[in-house]
Amino acid sequence: MTSLFRIFAFAAGLLIFCNASHGLDLTGLDSVPIQEGGRKKPFLVFADEALLSLSGKSRYMTDGVKVNSTATVASLWLTPVGWEDQPLILIGNKKFKDQLGLDPAKKLFSYRELAGNEKLRAALEEVSAIRSKNPKASLDVLQREASTVGMRLAVFEGLVSGRSVTLLPTGAAAWSPLKSDDVALAKLREGFRSNNQADFDAGLTELRDEQAREEARFQADAGKIAVEVFYQRLHPFRWAWILYLAAGIGMLVVPGKPGYVLGWSFALCGFLLQLAGFIFRIIVSGRAPVTNMYESVVWVAFGTIFFALVFEAIYRSRYFLLGAVPVAVASLILADTQPVILDRSIHPLVPVLADNFWLTTHVLTITLSYAAFALALGVGHIILGKSLFGGKASPALNNYLYRTLQIGVLLLAIGTILGGVWANYSWGRFWDWDPKETWALIALLAYLFLLHGRIAGRWGGFGMAVGAVLAFQCVIMAWYGVNFILGVGLHSYGFGTGGLPGAIAFVLCELAFVTLAVLRQKRAKKTA
Amino acid sequence: MTALERKRLVETRKKNSTFWRVVHWLGSLQLALILLATIAIACAAATIAESEFSTKIAQAYIYKAPWFLVWLAVLCINLFAVTLTRWPWEKKHAGFIITHYGIITLLFGAMVGIQTGFEGNVTLHKDKGPVRKVTVNRSIIQVESPNDSALYVMPFDAATARPSEKRPRVFEVPQTNLQIIADGFSDNLIKEEKLVPSESGGPGVMLRFTSPRMGQNLEMPMVLEGQAPQERDFFGLARVVFQSELPPPKSSGDSETQMVFGKFASVVQGEAKASGIRVMLGADGKKITIAPPDMAAMTYLREEVMKSPIQAGGALVTVEEYWPDFEMVGGRPVTKSDQPNNPAALVRIQSAQASEGDSKPALVASPSEGGIRYQLQRSGATLAAGSAKVGESFSTGWADWQVEVLGYYPDAAVRSTMQSGPPLPKGETGVPGFRARLVSPEKKDSETRWVVSGDITSLTDGRNVVRIGYGLELRPLPFAMRLLNFEVPRYEGTETPSNFIATVEFKEDGTGLTKTGTARMNHPASFPGTVLANFTGINYKFSQAEWNPRDLGETTLQVLYDPGWLLKWSGSLAICIGIAIMFYFKPKSKDA
Repeated sequence: MTSLFRIFAFAAGLLIFCNASHGLDLTGLDSVPIQEGGRKKPFLVFADEALLSLSGKSRYMTDGVKVNSTATVASLWLTPVGWEDQPLILIGNKKFKDQLGLDPAKKLFSYRELAGNEKLRAALEEVSAIRSKNPKASLDVLQREASTVGMRLAVFEGLVSGRSVTLLPTGAAAWSPLKSDDVALAKLREGFRSNNQADFDAGLTELRDEQAREEARFQADAGKIAVEVFYQRLHPFRWAWILYLAAGIGMLVVPGKPGYVLGWSFALCGFLLQLAGFIFRIIVSGRAPVTNMYESVVWVAFGTIFFALVFEAIYRSRYFLLGAVPVAVASLILADTQPVILDRSIHPLVPVLADNFWLTTHVLTITLSYAAFALALGVGHIILGKSLFGGKASPALNNYLYRTLQIGVLLLAIGTILGGVWANYSWGRFWDWDPKETWALIALLAYLFLLHGRIAGRWGGFGMAVGAVLAFQCVIMAWYGVNFILGVGLHSYGFGTGGLPGAIAFVLCELAFVTLAVLRQKRAKKTA
Repeated sequence: MTALERKRLVETRKKNSTFWRVVHWLGSLQLALILLATIAIACAAATIAESEFSTKIAQAYIYKAPWFLVWLAVLCINLFAVTLTRWPWEKKHAGFIITHYGIITLLFGAMVGIQTGFEGNVTLHKDKGPVRKVTVNRSIIQVESPNDSALYVMPFDAATARPSEKRPRVFEVPQTNLQIIADGFSDNLIKEEKLVPSESGGPGVMLRFTSPRMGQNLEMPMVLEGQAPQERDFFGLARVVFQSELPPPKSSGDSETQMVFGKFASVVQGEAKASGIRVMLGADGKKITIAPPDMAAMTYLREEVMKSPIQAGGALVTVEEYWPDFEMVGGRPVTKSDQPNNPAALVRIQSAQASEGDSKPALVASPSEGGIRYQLQRSGATLAAGSAKVGESFSTGWADWQVEVLGYYPDAAVRSTMQSGPPLPKGETGVPGFRARLVSPEKKDSETRWVVSGDITSLTDGRNVVRIGYGLELRPLPFAMRLLNFEVPRYEGTETPSNFIATVEFKEDGTGLTKTGTARMNHPASFPGTVLANFTGINYKFSQAEWNPRDLGETTLQVLYDPGWLLKWSGSLAICIGIAIMFYFKPKSKDA
């Protein structure tokens, strides 16, 4: 009996030992404030962002096990030995991998592989030479990739050396990393290494004590940190698209009124969840949630559903929700799954944007107009889809499209003009044909062309649907193209890279769809 | 009035009156559609041209081209005529009329702004005196007529006009029968300066700066004229000063030394010291990496940088000693062998705390027999000193720039000529200019010269001399501006600016009226800034435009003087209100 017990005890011990590296409960570390990137944030967010910028993923795969970001980053920080040989650092660009002589099939590389790479060093020196000559010089794709990889190496170095883990208030604006003889650090390290929860928690308590020693004004706002941890764990925008998708499927699958009610309920839940997500984000960042591409994509999805719900409340038609759901789901999935292109982290704003009055007036209006046009795109697809399958849109449906376009035109006109007024204050001129301004104007002209052509009797409901799809390509250009393709002008804070093949594919699909619908319509007219 | 009655009325007046026929034609929807489409397409083409070529090209051929302006005028006519076609107006036309007149008012306000106002920019410096001129974004030439010595201004933008031998541009010199012919353009003019012996000159030296890492070199001749020190700017990075005597050396800021080991320098090691700079030595001792806080680490080949100071994050890092196989013997470091078994390096980090005054590093040199004596300074402190003869070189400590003394004459002068350099890669800007010659009825083939932007050039046909200046127009203001203070607050714990705050003093000529204004991002300063001035637009607005991260005493402000603003804004407001009325407050017509 005793021997049996011993065997059990041994087995249990073995189990714990095997589980050593993953057994520790690190949730206490998640909510520890850290200063990074111009603000104070929870360690969880710091870890998510660090791992994302290192590897392009929010989890780290090792031996078939997914390790979350806090555990990975804590390990990099507390037990750095050996990490330099782990494949962790992302290089996405195939040509750049060729240039460095790296295996093009691999995505992640170890620090040692990259730090010892002569060609990478040469590429980084080239970039730093260009930058030191002209800080605003535009880089080509490979140079940009080199500079990104250089940034990733720096992130790695910052973590393993503990330099970027700035946990201690100092009595000045900038926090500092823990000193190597810091008691809390020693306990945390020991607890982490030996997988001892008690030691680790003692280290956390010690760390909290050390943080509390400084005057309150240098410390993090505990409430904000708690909200941000909650927001980071909640993933409200992910749940929103799942609910919107459920709403769409519910309406299509369940016939009649029950289906409509089901769709409404799911869409409303998603909408409220998204609203909550925005409120948390506003509390954390202290500004309107439309300051980068990620936020604007999520916001446009929100606006599309908002307008759809308003119209549904008025007309009870179901076409608005059916039109809005695909657009909202597609944009939210894009935002959820493409963190490298659409950066979700909250960064300090360039001074010109750091003005809530103008952000809420100009940017919110413009993006809401995009949302209305996105809804018009959805409704337009329904009309074109109907004619593609030999049907005909009802006058009511055509009217719905017109109503949606009206909202968009009004908001885009107001937003563009407000942009001029803001530019008058910030840049000292009302209008100067900056590409972003110009493309907003082009989009507006395109929609005005559409509305005037209808008045002139050039086209009817079907033509309006074709126009709603085509003119939305101008919105894509104003929204995405100016920042990601043209890459010139004063709106440079929104510039980014990536996603071009996807954008081109989207535009081509839309054009093909419209062409098909038009051909079908022509044939239908001939036979009639 | 019912729709049918209106239709009949329109039919009759079109039949009976030419005026109404024209109005209905000018206000037709067909014309509106053509205008909307062409303007949209032209704008799209312009943004692509801007991305592919330059803003100037897009403006010259589209946005500010005469045809585009005419087109906008036609748009105004169309907008006005279409409101007439609805005559007699009824309540239901309110939104429609407000919107269309709003657009006309906006465009008219823009025209008033262009005709009577201006946009420009001005760079102010804390340590420099008041400025009373702003740079306007318009290229001009200024010609000094030899007859009356008066300056004549003519608008000319060589970069867009691109004069060539096939398409030369001719300017009459006022009050004479002389002509200036521009027949060439270069956007990359390079000044070639040579040091030549000259009886009348002072001691002169030719320095050559080279940076292997950037693949650049720069030759800089310096000649002493009298006792005044000669100073030149080095890419905005540093100053180069040539003076008769060197100042006594001043002690520098704190310095620290670090012993770095290659084998022990695992990624964990390397603790932050006072300067926050970490230095790492490669395991084979061949490379050394310097990581200043908040900046990217730089790796150097150790052999190349031995004993030469490297600038890193406001400090100078010097690799003083190196031992391939380090061992302490009797308390002294020695090397056991030449093999890198235990590579170690002694590194000195000299922090140059930014003090008041000029924080830029400087090379101060004075002539000495057959070469120079020099000091490397930063914030007034002497970091290094030495001497170099012709053919010798030394390191500056500014990135990897090296200086070689190419030549020395006890009596020298600088001879400079302009040359058109190779075409520049996209995105880089050089010094532009055009090639010109002065011709008279008697002499057609005089010598050509490059007229450089921002400089004055003398052209001659052998008998007459005409001075010509080329560059952006400077516009005098009726007041003087002085930068009292410039602040760049940062986001906590970073170098990222969170705002730009300039405090500027304005002093009006004549009245002597003085006012202090603060221009921060999104909140411009204005002068005179009174209610009346704001209302009429007879007011100058100063917005933050640019800053110089290397010199925090300097800021560039955008200047706007726009008497058309009220028209623009009321037009804008009318457009928004009009669209809203049209869409949402339209009385239902009885017969619809």
